[in-house]
Amino acid sequence: MTPLLEARDVRVQVGDVEILHGADLTVHQGELVAIVGPNGAGKSTLSRAVSGLQRPSGGEVRWSGTPLSELRGRKLARLRAFVPQRAPVPAGVTVRDAVALGRSPHIKPLQRATRGDHDAVERALERTGVREFADRRLTTLSGGELQRVQIAVGLAQEAPVLIADEPTSHLDLGATATVAKLLRGLVDDGLSVILVVHDLALAAAVADTVVVMADGRSAATGPPREVLTPDRLSEVWRVDAALDERGALHVNWLDRGPARR
Amino acid sequence: MALGAVHVPLADIWGSLTGTAEEGPLRQIIVELRLPRTVSAILVGASLGVAGALLQGALGNPLASPDVIGVTGGAGFGAMLTLLVWPSAIALLPVGALAFGLVAAAIVFSIGWSGPHAGSIGRVILAGIAISALFGAATTSLMVAYSDRVQSAIFWLAGGLTSEGWSSLKVVWPYMLVGMVLALGLMRPLDRLALGDDVAASLGGRPRAIRLTAAIAAALLASSAAALAGLLGFLGLVIPHLVRLAGGTSSHRFVVPASAVAGAALLLAGDTLARVILAPVELPVGPLMVVLGVPLFLWLLREAV
Repeated sequence: MTPLLEARDVRVQVGDVEILHGADLTVHQGELVAIVGPNGAGKSTLSRAVSGLQRPSGGEVRWSGTPLSELRGRKLARLRAFVPQRAPVPAGVTVRDAVALGRSPHIKPLQRATRGDHDAVERALERTGVREFADRRLTTLSGGELQRVQIAVGLAQEAPVLIADEPTSHLDLGATATVAKLLRGLVDDGLSVILVVHDLALAAAVADTVVVMADGRSAATGPPREVLTPDRLSEVWRVDAALDERGALHVNWLDRGPARR
Repeated sequence: MALGAVHVPLADIWGSLTGTAEEGPLRQIIVELRLPRTVSAILVGASLGVAGALLQGALGNPLASPDVIGVTGGAGFGAMLTLLVWPSAIALLPVGALAFGLVAAAIVFSIGWSGPHAGSIGRVILAGIAISALFGAATTSLMVAYSDRVQSAIFWLAGGLTSEGWSSLKVVWPYMLVGMVLALGLMRPLDRLALGDDVAASLGGRPRAIRLTAAIAAALLASSAAALAGLLGFLGLVIPHLVRLAGGTSSHRFVVPASAVAGAALLLAGDTLARVILAPVELPVGPLMVVLGVPLFLWLLREAV
């Protein structure tokens, strides 16, 4: 089966500086792939490059077999939805209005939204649990509620792959758990999700596949337990840490006694 | 159209417009003076309102107005060049203002949309401020060099409509039309852009291209407005805010058309007041609009949550 996304040796240059030196990423249908790595390792850059938000300077990206360079605008928007880390919050716009904008790849210019578009918006509101405040304005929402609205915008796009760039990095524990459950639930329903995330315990808990980024390269790819080994945590994050069998991350914060048991 | 230094009864206005009235001074006042002036007021007000709404949306900045992309500075320079250096060519005043307004905007865009951060809001705004300053300095230099003729330029700089008939309108209407058509097409893309560049790109839009198109449309509209009525930039800044505060939404599908209507209505009312208050003396509309607009704006600001 052709993977939904296949990216090989992706490179990104900003000005004269190459910030991504060759990263691979493959996503199949119904798979949750977590991209982890230290700050500045190129996690977000990789997710933006495969999404077409940042132009790759080298390598190959294919969406359902079609090269990214041949996919423009609305066509690409029907293959993948990108949920940014933090977006501006326009005044006076309601949750439903914002989510309705997610349908724009399906509505031709000068055309009106159809019944099908309205239904898709309602489904996205329902699935993300934001329907109860669908008529409230974005400016009145909490960070966790806003993040779910962002995901709803992406869902309304009805693309087979949802790419979320650190959706939980500024959320509290409860809101993080809600988003984690939501994303995992979407994958169990058959969607594919690329999750850029700092929290290794979270990545290990929800992901089918983990891609470890280090120094602008993809350093390892595989199931969480095989990839997030104490040796790799030490090598990539320079920290003495280990994931236990229940998914908790033990860190030897002050180098007093071993984290590994 | 009835109000002014000479009162014209409504029946005569209707007669003049439909062509049933007899030839005479009243008919002449209506068809050759007041009708073009009324049409100009509506078009200028609508253009400035829409230009401001487009720029504030495209640059995501509530302080954006036609000043920001250099149009006001360029148009001012173009007008001063005609008025002060070649006063005999005063008929070319709207052409000069329009041309230099567009030239200034073109310079701003060519700087703003180049380099590694092409099309970023900060880059565009900084380029606009720099180019505006340059044209402002050039205008001031002209005024110093031709200080004996500055008197004739004051009214234009203050901003105001004139009763000069249809000639200026004939020059600028195609530019206004293109600007307005672009504005209509930009309403949905600007709503997507309001959710951020990433969301707009996720939805298949091209944030930089949307921003550039909106800025071009705003430059066309604001330059045309300056050609007709001098420097009324304040309208472009304030009208979209009035509309947003009064309407309680910043959705461009509301703000863009509502700014057109509100701009047209405000300028028409302001111009009528300016002609009537001290008739037959005409007050400059620009300062009058500011005097009327600021209290209204402050009141709405206070009412808004």
